[in-house]
Amino acid sequence: MVLTEERPNLLRPGHAACAGCGLATGMKLVLQAMGPRTIAVIVPSCEGAIGGVYPYTAYGVPTIHSAFEIAAPTAAGIANGLKVQGITDIQVLAFAGDGGTFDIGLQALSGVAKNNDDIIYVCLDNEGYMNTGIQVSSSTPSFAWTGTTPKGNPRRKKNIMEIMAAHYNPYSATATIGFPRDLQQKITKAKGIRGTKFIHMLVPCPTGWRTPSDISPELSVLAVETNIFPLYEVEDGKRYTINHQPRRLPVREYLSRQGRFRHLKEEEIEQIQRDADEEWKKLRYRAGLSG
Amino acid sequence: MKEFMTGNHAIAHAVKLCRTPLIAAYPITPQTPIYEKLSEWEASGQLKGIMMRTESEHSAMASCIAASLTGVRTFTASSSQGIALMHEMLHFASGCRVPVVMANVNRLLAAPWGFWADQLDSLSQRDTGWIQFYCENGQEALDSVIQAYRIAEQVYLPAMVSIEAFFVSHFMEVVDLPEQEQVDRFLPPMDLPHKFDMDKPGFLVPVVPSELYRKYKHMAQVSMDSVKGLALQVDQEFRNEFGRGYGIVEPLMVEDAEVVVVTAGSITGTARVAIKELRERGYRIGLLKVRLFRPFPGEAIREALRGRKRIAVIDRNFSLGGGGIFCQELRAALVHSPDRPLVFSYIAGIGGTDVRPEMIERVCLDVMERTEPMDTPIWIMEEGS
Amino acid sequence: MKMDFRHSSELVIPISYGSTEVIETGRWGFQKPETVLMTAPCQEACPAGNPIPQFLYLAAEGRYDEALRALLRENPFPGVCGRVCFHPCEARCHRARYDESVSICAMERYVFDATSDRSVDIRPHRNHHSKQVAVVGSGPAGLSCAYFLGLLGHQVTVFEARTEPGGVMRWGIPEYRLPKSVLKREVRRIVNLGIEIKTGVKVGGDLSFDQLMDFDAVFLSPGAGSSLPLKIDGEALKAVWRGKELLERINSGGRIRLGREVIVIGGGNTAMDVARSALRLGSRVTVAYRRSRDEMPAIQEEIREAEEEGVRFEFLIQPVRVSLLKNGRLAVKFQRMKLGKPDQSKRPKPIPVEGGFVKLEADALVEAVGEAVEWSWIPQRLMSRGLIDVGPSLLTAQDKVFAGGDAIDQPRTVVTAIASGKKAAISIDLYLRGLSSDDFLSRIEVGNQGSLSMEAYIAGIEQGRWPEVKDVVPYERINTLYFEPSGRIRERKLSRDKAVKGFSEVNRGFSPNQAHASASRCFTCGTCNYCSNCYFFCPEGVISLDPLLQSRAVDLEHCKGCGTCARACPRGVVEMREVS
Repeated sequence: MVLTEERPNLLRPGHAACAGCGLATGMKLVLQAMGPRTIAVIVPSCEGAIGGVYPYTAYGVPTIHSAFEIAAPTAAGIANGLKVQGITDIQVLAFAGDGGTFDIGLQALSGVAKNNDDIIYVCLDNEGYMNTGIQVSSSTPSFAWTGTTPKGNPRRKKNIMEIMAAHYNPYSATATIGFPRDLQQKITKAKGIRGTKFIHMLVPCPTGWRTPSDISPELSVLAVETNIFPLYEVEDGKRYTINHQPRRLPVREYLSRQGRFRHLKEEEIEQIQRDADEEWKKLRYRAGLSG
Repeated sequence: MKEFMTGNHAIAHAVKLCRTPLIAAYPITPQTPIYEKLSEWEASGQLKGIMMRTESEHSAMASCIAASLTGVRTFTASSSQGIALMHEMLHFASGCRVPVVMANVNRLLAAPWGFWADQLDSLSQRDTGWIQFYCENGQEALDSVIQAYRIAEQVYLPAMVSIEAFFVSHFMEVVDLPEQEQVDRFLPPMDLPHKFDMDKPGFLVPVVPSELYRKYKHMAQVSMDSVKGLALQVDQEFRNEFGRGYGIVEPLMVEDAEVVVVTAGSITGTARVAIKELRERGYRIGLLKVRLFRPFPGEAIREALRGRKRIAVIDRNFSLGGGGIFCQELRAALVHSPDRPLVFSYIAGIGGTDVRPEMIERVCLDVMERTEPMDTPIWIMEEGS
Repeated sequence: MKMDFRHSSELVIPISYGSTEVIETGRWGFQKPETVLMTAPCQEACPAGNPIPQFLYLAAEGRYDEALRALLRENPFPGVCGRVCFHPCEARCHRARYDESVSICAMERYVFDATSDRSVDIRPHRNHHSKQVAVVGSGPAGLSCAYFLGLLGHQVTVFEARTEPGGVMRWGIPEYRLPKSVLKREVRRIVNLGIEIKTGVKVGGDLSFDQLMDFDAVFLSPGAGSSLPLKIDGEALKAVWRGKELLERINSGGRIRLGREVIVIGGGNTAMDVARSALRLGSRVTVAYRRSRDEMPAIQEEIREAEEEGVRFEFLIQPVRVSLLKNGRLAVKFQRMKLGKPDQSKRPKPIPVEGGFVKLEADALVEAVGEAVEWSWIPQRLMSRGLIDVGPSLLTAQDKVFAGGDAIDQPRTVVTAIASGKKAAISIDLYLRGLSSDDFLSRIEVGNQGSLSMEAYIAGIEQGRWPEVKDVVPYERINTLYFEPSGRIRERKLSRDKAVKGFSEVNRGFSPNQAHASASRCFTCGTCNYCSNCYFFCPEGVISLDPLLQSRAVDLEHCKGCGTCARACPRGVVEMREVS
């Protein structure tokens, strides 16, 4: 049940996201689950662009627009600053994109995860540098078109969840806007855990993915149901839980709706399917499920 | 209470005495003993607070800035490559107007590699908006850290206290440790008007229009300029409380000097000896120590050098294509001086090479023989090299 | 730029405190979402116009009292329909195209059962023009008409010839399908509305037809209570029964012995009821039907359950003669049949196979091949071919006399009878207000198959708020991506052995968990069920929903018109419309 009075919208309307932006939806859902006793960190990215120009802000909680690669240590600094003052009822949330997480911010995130500083880090993954106009990042999936991979990305998407799991941090989870209840439950769960919590959130980008403005949630669901982006949690780097049993639709159903994959050859689609199948098998194995 | 300790440990003691509850740091020679000492005290509980053992200097500074915005006092220590890596965040810190205090142990910048004293690392950061102090010894470093907090927290600008690698950082000297109550009296709790406010959620560091950017930079300059007077005042109050002080510049026997040697940092100590020797031999040589580099105390320097004809600036740093950085700044400060003294630029001690008293004597004798200064600095090296 | 620092903190660094809400990002878009409530196909298929998506939504939320109230707005017999309806709704269920249809009928029953321990009453509307209406016959049509007239605030008197009200629900349908206690509760609710039911009053005997004319309006719903004869030799033998009479005897609690073997003639629901009742009376039962299984008019579940319970079937035979054997048993001669071209009923016509005969023996034979209206008390001019002749508003040839139920030309099912009772109630109300039904019935249609909405009628006639007629949701408008595939949930049943031992209700209904899962399977086509997809997925956060106030609002000043809400609505309730 949604009672708007009880759970205020903390990403205010009037923000500057593109129409149909999955990232805005994601931030809205996360902030709502976080609640007003939150300090948020954003970095130069779509989040910065969305957040409004002085003197206006879309963020309903105290927020700092930090530098690109330091979402994690900024959040950690705030968290520890509060801790030394004995303030325990404020949660610190870091938002960074895939560029700020998989690429330029990876080291800093790793450092914070190693220290297990008490923050919730949400990677808003739209699979490329979208704010600067669609360039490849290490999160861009195989064969996808971007402005800097005009013939398609030759490399696979980095597995950030495994990187995080290797830090043995208490909680990491994947989430996506198409499963808002799952997403908000994960945020709520993360709030109850002390230490570095990492949420890898897939957020479809109509502009960068070359899709209509009305299908972001649908793509998000398809990403899960095709096993391109399974929903799962990793606790203490070792306990894996799969949160949603996918319908295992063919990856083609996901790919075919996006302009960035329009040029794909049959064998490339098959390759993506094989990769998805293989990753799913690995994930099931880690979750203690056979086959 | 007097104790025998290194410059690094003197700084660590200052941080503890200031009750700094949040420290973020990353190891780098020759700063590491500061980090280790504070970690030791954090672990033993002697230091009440959190040591953030970050994965880089860049993140250490990011954490200090962020923590500072929650309203707590913060500290980091770095050196050389570390401060260079921090560069982006140094600008960010002053832009956020946070009173972070950093100790920098001056070490040369690679390449080639080396670990030795050289002030280029911190001087390269002169445009980042930090208050900068250069200290002669461990005692001054300790006292300057305490003063730095007092000043920084009044003007909301970050402050850096530099000592030179090994010469100060690792040399054991007698240091007079202030009493905790004295420091508590001298340094009130930090209060930051722009810290995060849960009751009035604001968006910090927004994108601003050009005019507003300009406005805030101008406001920052006004604050920075006020530091010249404030630092003097704070130093005076410090002297009242602790019985010692430094000023922002320190003139020594300049009144009748034909030549005034200008130094910063540890070379000053050597210069004191060299000048005494030359005075005994009949040369009228004076010394001006520059302690505050940012903001640059132009007026105080002009005042100290009024009527002097020849100035020899010795820089343990070098801006390729420019020259000694203290000299550049000094020349710029004196350009409007009615006396227009001749300012000669000497480079000494680069890469941690030893600057012995006789080298300073050579500078003094050399400058008296010259008729006019050159753009290019004069490198002073050991005999035969 | 003029500096205006409203906060002292801004004397140090710029801090944005203003809300972006002042920026009208709604101007970016050229289309805006609109809520377009539509009719679900199940609802259209339900003759009574049951608000199926609404009641299933409420049931899925566990709000059973409200679910029952929603049903009671359109149908006075959820407990009965939830047990005996042939549920045409389920055949049209959009979910059937995705995986399997929703168990709508079973859910209707569950809603009734789950609220049976408390009184969920529905109040009559105040009516300043309250009139007196007589209803003849207390079957589903008569009671439905009385109920709705009562809701509309009229004074209704129901005349029932038998000792208890209910008609086919009381005297026709066996206890194992419809327990008397269920009917009693439904009737009590109707009586509580202020309806007077006079039992043991036979119109044409105790009361003349003309005396009915003292009322302001009359509704005739005498039903079709007498089984048609086969018109074959030997029909008058003692061991040859008529289906309706037999069921009535059983439902009166009479002790009946049919013998070891019984043959039942017919393929409709009466035949199934008779066959399964006979089984419970200890007989072995064979159903003889002149067409094949596919053409049997009985409800599929009834046939399947009869089969499961052990009723045998003989198809494509038709009795031609019954004779008494010396041992007292019956010999029944059957003509073999084959299927020909479709007849008027659109089913293949059975044609005799030349020289093909079969002879079966039995202790009793029950004829269940159709029922007729007993109309001796009704003026001839109201009748046509044994049925009461009515116009589109159910008005008969006589002013202020309306008719419905099995006595008029319409399918003989409980739900169609209820539907005609509702329609008659509306027609009568309009008549009593001096209005023409032609002007109003089309405004309260549910879909395009004749079902009417009482809720819409009351809103219109009482408050002048005539709702827009809603289109039926096409399947393509349902976004099935948001539904996890799931199988239909089946009700619990008595085991065969237990079932045939007596007349206990066979169908035991859903468990609470089953009911929740079952209701949750509903797509609620065309009806907002506050699934919150639009609310969650809106990137602007401009949609607000309040399920308690049943409100859904969009802040158009900030809606960029991306269309996500329309696309993400699983039930096709939101539509993007261009703005100028």
